[in-house]
Amino acid sequence: MPRMTSKPFNSKASLFRAALCSLSLLVVSPASAEDEATNEVVQSTSQPVAIVVHKDTQVDDLSLEDLRSIFLADQQFWPDRQRIILLVRAPESDERDFVLNRIYQMSEAQFRQYWIAKMFRAEVPRGPKIVFSTDMTLDLVVAIPGSISFIRADQISDAVKVVRIDGALPSEAGYPLK
Amino acid sequence: MRYVLLLSIVFAGPLFADDEVTSTGSPVDMSQPEFNFMGFGDISYISTDNSNADGFAIGQAVAHLSASLGHSLSAFGEFTATAKDSEYSFEVERLIVKYDFSDRYKLSAGRYHTPIGYWNSSFHHGAWLQTTTSRPEMLKFGSKIVPIHFVGVLLEGAIGAKNLGLEYKAGFGNGRHANIARAGDAGDLNGDKAWMLQVNSRPQGIYGLNMGLGFYSDEITLPVGPNVGEKTFSAYAAWNKETPELLIEYLHSSHELVNDSSVSGDVDAWYAQFAYRLPGKKSDWKPYVRYEHTRVDDSDPLLGAEALDYDGGILGARWDFNPHAALKVEYRNEEFDNGGRENNFRLQLSIVLTKM
Repeated sequence: MPRMTSKPFNSKASLFRAALCSLSLLVVSPASAEDEATNEVVQSTSQPVAIVVHKDTQVDDLSLEDLRSIFLADQQFWPDRQRIILLVRAPESDERDFVLNRIYQMSEAQFRQYWIAKMFRAEVPRGPKIVFSTDMTLDLVVAIPGSISFIRADQISDAVKVVRIDGALPSEAGYPLK
Repeated sequence: MRYVLLLSIVFAGPLFADDEVTSTGSPVDMSQPEFNFMGFGDISYISTDNSNADGFAIGQAVAHLSASLGHSLSAFGEFTATAKDSEYSFEVERLIVKYDFSDRYKLSAGRYHTPIGYWNSSFHHGAWLQTTTSRPEMLKFGSKIVPIHFVGVLLEGAIGAKNLGLEYKAGFGNGRHANIARAGDAGDLNGDKAWMLQVNSRPQGIYGLNMGLGFYSDEITLPVGPNVGEKTFSAYAAWNKETPELLIEYLHSSHELVNDSSVSGDVDAWYAQFAYRLPGKKSDWKPYVRYEHTRVDDSDPLLGAEALDYDGGILGARWDFNPHAALKVEYRNEEFDNGGRENNFRLQLSIVLTKM
């Protein structure tokens, strides 16, 4: 690191101009439409969101905090040491907006940055699997042992297991993902 | 040539990156290898009191590769190309092969960013990841205060009750090189290996909070003179949500000659950083402020002659104008060990290349 003697800051006209330009940038910059979209958080869906897992997964009930740990990939294994495979809907679905808001408590931009940082810290070798529809979600939860995902409660199939959250199913009082 | 190689990796990466599942109706084989790529880059304009340092500067070009090699085995690599006066230097920053037995036991071997404190194991070489334009001075790449890299083995995982969110990292390996800014990539220069232990808590009930304590011990062989013992204690608290984001980290190191404990000295260094993501339509802006302080005893046998005392304050704002790019504007006022004070202004454009 170079060492230098002190000089008055205002003696450096270019420095001042650069700072002024940046301040004006801060004042006039509009929020882009793209960022408005990515930072918008939808508050709720009309239906509760059900948490579904592969039929063989030996879990029936999770606390909301445990569910958050799984969705954050802080917990990566089920109790039987089966690897957890997280399936997340692609952007611009109500279910995804709901989960980002209620479980992750993040905007789209924060969610993206979270997973990039998680992978970059070598904590996970890959991000969540992206799925594009409820049918695709159900097909893959059925097909992939250890998988977990979320769908609207009125689209639950018998082919997957619905997990109680804080002791309640989506149709019951006290279910936290309504 | 090395830079050309790195760039070819950077631009070829997205061709084989694949994190999406396609529904084919056939059984899904999750044991198949899967590769992911990320690239980072930045360019800065820096204007300082010292006119010699004015101008544009290419930061590091970073390529990050990760591979899931089956149910529990994975590999990570981080490679950088850094602009120097007359060339680019190529570096293998991290290279890690990891086996996950469970959430409680994850064993890996390779070259790491040493798990000392928060910043060094949370942020790496991509400027886009960090709120500010650069790392704190005490943790800058090439720092002599903290052993930034370490080569060896690392055991990590969760411990205790889930609601406490306790995690540990225990490492053992080569300590610093005789050039103390570098890791002992080709082996330790003495029989005393470096070891470290870090414990942190992310309590489930306080989502966003991360607190940790760490200890690092090593014996350093210098090009001349007796070996120096190094013991470093670190502590941090981080609030990761962006409204606000708060990082506080403290580090205390003790150094003493192994053959004469009367020759010793201490290092105290800390920083505090506060940022806040603005609400509503200005949510792509995040103003921030940071203050840092480093004090090294003149009697310190390892660092006392290095003139590393430092005080610095920064004030800036980050503008995420695109999901994969950020523009940061920053004013810095820094005082170095010789009493010189520097004001500088930085404008940095940073990008991330990823499919996410």
